[in-house]
Amino acid sequence: MSILYLVVQQTMFFSIPLLIVALGGVFTERSGVTNIALDGMMIMGAFTSIFFINQMQSTMSGQLLLLIAILIAVVTGVVFSLLHAYASVNMKSDQIISGTALNLFAPAFAIYVARMIQENGVQQITFSNTFRISSVPVLGDIPILGGLLFKNAYITTYIGLLILVISVIVLYKTRFGLRLRACGEHPHAADSVGINVYRMRYAGVMISGGLAGLGGLVFVIPTSTQFNATVSGYGFLALAVMIFGQWKPMRVLFAAFFFGLMKTIASAYSVIPFLSTAQIPSDVYKMIPFIATLIVLAFSSKSSQAPRAVAVPYDKGSR
Amino acid sequence: MKKFLVLLLAFAMVFSLAACGGTEPAPDDDGEPVAEGYEIAMITDIGSIDDKSFNQGTWEGIVAYAEENGITHKYYKPTEQTTDAYLASIQLAVEGGAKVVVTPGFLFEEPIFIAQDMYEDVNFILIDGNPHNADYTEFRTNDNAVGIVYAEEESGYLAGYAAVKDGYTKLGFMGGMAVPAVVRFGYGFAQGAEAAAAELGIPSIELKYHYTGNFDATPETQTLATSWYAEGVEVIFACGGLVGNSVMSAAEASGAAVIGVDVDQSSESETVITSAMKGLAASVQSALEAYYAGNFPGGEALVYGAAQDGVQLPMETSKFENFTQADYDAVFADLVAGNIKLVKDTDASGKEMTLNDLGLSIVKATLVE
Repeated sequence: MSILYLVVQQTMFFSIPLLIVALGGVFTERSGVTNIALDGMMIMGAFTSIFFINQMQSTMSGQLLLLIAILIAVVTGVVFSLLHAYASVNMKSDQIISGTALNLFAPAFAIYVARMIQENGVQQITFSNTFRISSVPVLGDIPILGGLLFKNAYITTYIGLLILVISVIVLYKTRFGLRLRACGEHPHAADSVGINVYRMRYAGVMISGGLAGLGGLVFVIPTSTQFNATVSGYGFLALAVMIFGQWKPMRVLFAAFFFGLMKTIASAYSVIPFLSTAQIPSDVYKMIPFIATLIVLAFSSKSSQAPRAVAVPYDKGSR
Repeated sequence: MKKFLVLLLAFAMVFSLAACGGTEPAPDDDGEPVAEGYEIAMITDIGSIDDKSFNQGTWEGIVAYAEENGITHKYYKPTEQTTDAYLASIQLAVEGGAKVVVTPGFLFEEPIFIAQDMYEDVNFILIDGNPHNADYTEFRTNDNAVGIVYAEEESGYLAGYAAVKDGYTKLGFMGGMAVPAVVRFGYGFAQGAEAAAAELGIPSIELKYHYTGNFDATPETQTLATSWYAEGVEVIFACGGLVGNSVMSAAEASGAAVIGVDVDQSSESETVITSAMKGLAASVQSALEAYYAGNFPGGEALVYGAAQDGVQLPMETSKFENFTQADYDAVFADLVAGNIKLVKDTDASGKEMTLNDLGLSIVKATLVE
């Protein structure tokens, strides 16, 4: 039973950052701007927020510090994403090029600045993890469910799930969401009924930046004791999750948990009773999410749910 | 405006590329800039100068010696991990006035083999390896080079011995890539645990054994470590650069213990009970001293073990309960005296050894793929 708890708890560490960042990807792509710079935005968000924790952890600790760090991560991501928004919306540049530039820029920037501003001149930013909740009061005592969801958890897990709920509501139940989706499907039609396409696309990119920045912080906190200017390519993995989830929040949730579970099993299969004797190399588990993505793409490409106008710069004059 | 943006993006890419790959000068270089440049040069291996492990340990030795004697020093970071890039960095260092080039890491074996012929009036100190050509058919160390390797198996032995003596019976070993140094650490660790268990009369010790395949902190490593701890592993010997940080993170969440590697890592996490150290700084200093004293051990292949103070545990910062300084001194003296024969990564004929060749009977080692 404790192994089951372990698998579920660890799956959260993989899935929640993927979920948050992939939801960011949904917003930007639904607005018609592709954003492959999610990885770079994760790095930037993690960089500023972890540095904040590093500086402030002597005076404060625990959930309050984490919440402020989350705010900083979101703001950093939003600001950084403005570069991408300006290039791809105002300047109508190739969005892949712009995203690539930001992905290359972010880790270099993080290393350079960390070395400049840290007293010891090193690129790693260390932090002490005071954010783990060993057991949520009351809820953690519920049999089974408490062990699965409310023990050895981080507040970011619940924030991630909250973001999912809000995303569903915003995308499908609000005027803003409808307009955003319209700009990703047929921007000229949206423009003809008075929607400001540029503003909508800015909003989509900025939301993705904010969520990616948050995802970077959420990714780093449980898995290391320092930040070394990398998120191990999870921004790109989140893109795969987004595609696997066919740009729909609830499917993205499913995809994120599927990826997370496979990642957990690939790492921890040696302690899972029936898998440790199965003699399947861990590489197989590592491959499964990607093979599944390929299969899903192969079968769904005819009825692909990708926003029609994604990655196409909006030009009022074109027809 | 569009042109301006294209330019801006182009600059952003060029800048970031340059920042990624450029040769970075030492940030805290106190040496006076003199006409002939920097006398002592270090080329970094995989990882940065502040990896809290190999590069940093070596660099600290250089800095300590150079600042004491007022010698200029600088490190160079190769653009990538290839022989050509290493050679380019060495060339840069030599053109920058280097008289002694220090290179940490066995990946430099081939570059130094070539460089020792190219720059005959420059001296090379190769840490953790001996020069050889690309296909291992020729091993040659010229008079202007010296190869220093450490008896990692002795360092690992001390750690394994101390852990079992201290009362741990369920152990884990998590190495980075299965490179010779890491393998020697792991095999020494297993043999040390075996020896201590035999002394204490413990009937059985469990050892989980794994190579992560990289030297990075990843969630995968953290998950694996957490799963080991959840299954009952009490202490993991984390042997591979940043791999240790993921293991420490897992240990903090699980309330378990970690053994660090290469340098004293106790400052990085409360969970580090001790570290299997190599005397990187000390050996670099002694080699530099020998060079400046005029008796550079050129052409030699030095092995620094316990007898040369090349390995140790940092007893002052260790968090042992039952393993005392006297115990440590006793086992260390045994190593120095050569009473303990250890199986390394290869035997005398060069055949690769496996876990089954270690002659373990009490320690039940399970290799986790």
